[in-house]
Amino acid sequence: MATRHRYPADRGLTAHMLLTMFLLGLLYAIVIAALVLAKVNLVVILVIAFGVLFVQYYYSDKIALYSMGGKIVTPQQQPQLHAIIDRLVAMANLPKPRVAIAQTDIPNAFATGRDQKHAVVCVTTGLLRRLNEPEVEAVLSHELSHVAHRDVAVMTIASFLGIIAGLMTRVFMLMGFFGGYGSNRGRGGGSAGGQIALFELAGLLFSAILYAISFILIRALSRYRELAADRSGAILIGQPALLAQALVKVSGEMSRIPSRDLRAAEHFNAFYFAPALAPGMSLSSLFSTHPPLQKRLDQLARLDAEMRRNPVA
Amino acid sequence: MGFLDALLGRTKPAQANLDRLFGLPGAQITLEAAEGLQPTGQAGVCFKPAEGQAFTATETEFTALLNLGDDAGAHVSENSDQYGYRWVVLGADDFQVLVTRVHVTNTTLQENGFGPQLLCSVFGFAPTPAAGDARAAATVYLVYLYKRGTFYPFVPAGGERRDNEAELRLKNELGDDLSIEPDLSRWFPIWGLPVH
Repeated sequence: MATRHRYPADRGLTAHMLLTMFLLGLLYAIVIAALVLAKVNLVVILVIAFGVLFVQYYYSDKIALYSMGGKIVTPQQQPQLHAIIDRLVAMANLPKPRVAIAQTDIPNAFATGRDQKHAVVCVTTGLLRRLNEPEVEAVLSHELSHVAHRDVAVMTIASFLGIIAGLMTRVFMLMGFFGGYGSNRGRGGGSAGGQIALFELAGLLFSAILYAISFILIRALSRYRELAADRSGAILIGQPALLAQALVKVSGEMSRIPSRDLRAAEHFNAFYFAPALAPGMSLSSLFSTHPPLQKRLDQLARLDAEMRRNPVA
Repeated sequence: MGFLDALLGRTKPAQANLDRLFGLPGAQITLEAAEGLQPTGQAGVCFKPAEGQAFTATETEFTALLNLGDDAGAHVSENSDQYGYRWVVLGADDFQVLVTRVHVTNTTLQENGFGPQLLCSVFGFAPTPAAGDARAAATVYLVYLYKRGTFYPFVPAGGERRDNEAELRLKNELGDDLSIEPDLSRWFPIWGLPVH
C-alpha cells in the first residue's frame, strides 16, 4: 500500500537553510585557507575554541538547566505534563526526554541536551499558568521538534566559527596593545616592523569582519531552525492554529513584562520557544535568534490551509 | 530520521505500522492458556484529530464502513479524552473480527494521509469467570504503538496505579507471539481508558 503524505516538504525553507549553511561552510574554508597562506600558528585558538564548544555541547542539558533554574520532575510530581509528552513522543517515535520545570514567571519553554537520549524539555511555571493544556501541548511539540532536528548539535557546530573569529579578534587586539603594532620592535629596521604592523592590522580587520558575518549567518540559521520546529510541531499535533494561538499568547504576555529580568535570560534565546526580549530592545531582524512573530504566524496559516485542502496532494 | 533530515530540520512524520496487529489472535490463545484471560470484545483506536474538513470527512468514512455490516455492536462509541485525542471504541464477539475492524479504521486514516495521527490501539482482556485464578483478577490491556510497531501490556490496579509485576509477567509470556516494546520507558500509562 502506498503511503500518502499530507504535507509536501517546504522547499523554500530547505533552500534558505541550505544556502545559510553553505555560506557558513564557505567562511570556514576561507578561514582555513587564509590561516594556511599566512602561515599563522593558531593551534592554541583552535584547541580553546574546540574545548569551549565541546563542554558547551556535552553538558548543554546541565548548563541550561542550571542557569535557568530548571528542576527535573518525575511523573508522580507532574502527571499531566508527563502524560502529554508520553503521547507526543509515541506519535513522533522519539525516545522520551527528561522533563523539567523552571520556577519563573516568564512564559517560555526550551529543549536542550546533546542528543535525543540526553534531551531535556523544560517549561516555566509562567507558561503552565498562562496556557491551557492544548496550548502547552503545542509548545511541547515545537520543543520536541528541536530535539528531533538535533538543533543543539547543529547550532553548536555552527557557532564554532563565531567563537574562533571572536578569539582571533581578541588575540590580534592584544598583539596590537602589547606589541604596539610593531613600532617598538624595530630589530630588523623600520621596514620589517612596518610589515608586521600591517599584517597584524589586516588580521584584526579580517577576523572582525569574519566574526560579524558568522554572527549574522548563525542568527539566520537559528531563525530557520525555529521555523522548521514550528512546522514540524504543528504537523505533529495536526493543529497549526493551536500553535499560532500559543505563540500569540506567549509573545503578547512577554512584551508586558519589565525588560530587566528578561535581559538576564538573553543568551539562552537560541533554544527558547519565544525570544526573551521585549520588542523595543531587539536590534534588528538581522540579529535576532527568532523570526518575527508575524512570519511564524504566516507560516502556520499556510500550513493550516494546506491541511484543510481536500483531497490529498 | 536521517542525517540530512536533521541537518535541514525536516521531519518526515512517523508513519504507522499496521500489519503487526495480526499477531494478536496468536497472543489471544497464549493469554487464555497461561493466564485464563479472554477478550472483552472491545478495542479502542486512539488518534489525534487534525484540523479541517479533510479529517472530518475521513472520520465519516470509517464510521460508515464500520456500520456497513449487520452487526449493530461494531461501532460502540466515539469520544475525546482530556488530552485532545479521539477514541473510537469498536466491538465484536469474535476476536478475529475485532482485529479486522480495528484494521479498517487504521487503513481508512492511513489512506487519507492521516497515518501519522495514529497514537495507539488498545485491546481488552478479562479473566474468564470459570478460571477463578487469583493471579489474573484484573482486566489486562494490550496497547499497540503504531509508530514503533510494538505492543506492551497495561494492567491498571485501581486509582492511578498499575500492576508492574503482572505487566512484566505478561511481557515474558507474550514474547513469542508479539513484538513487545523493549524500551520500558515507552510503556506509558493510559488512565481512564474508554475501552472495557
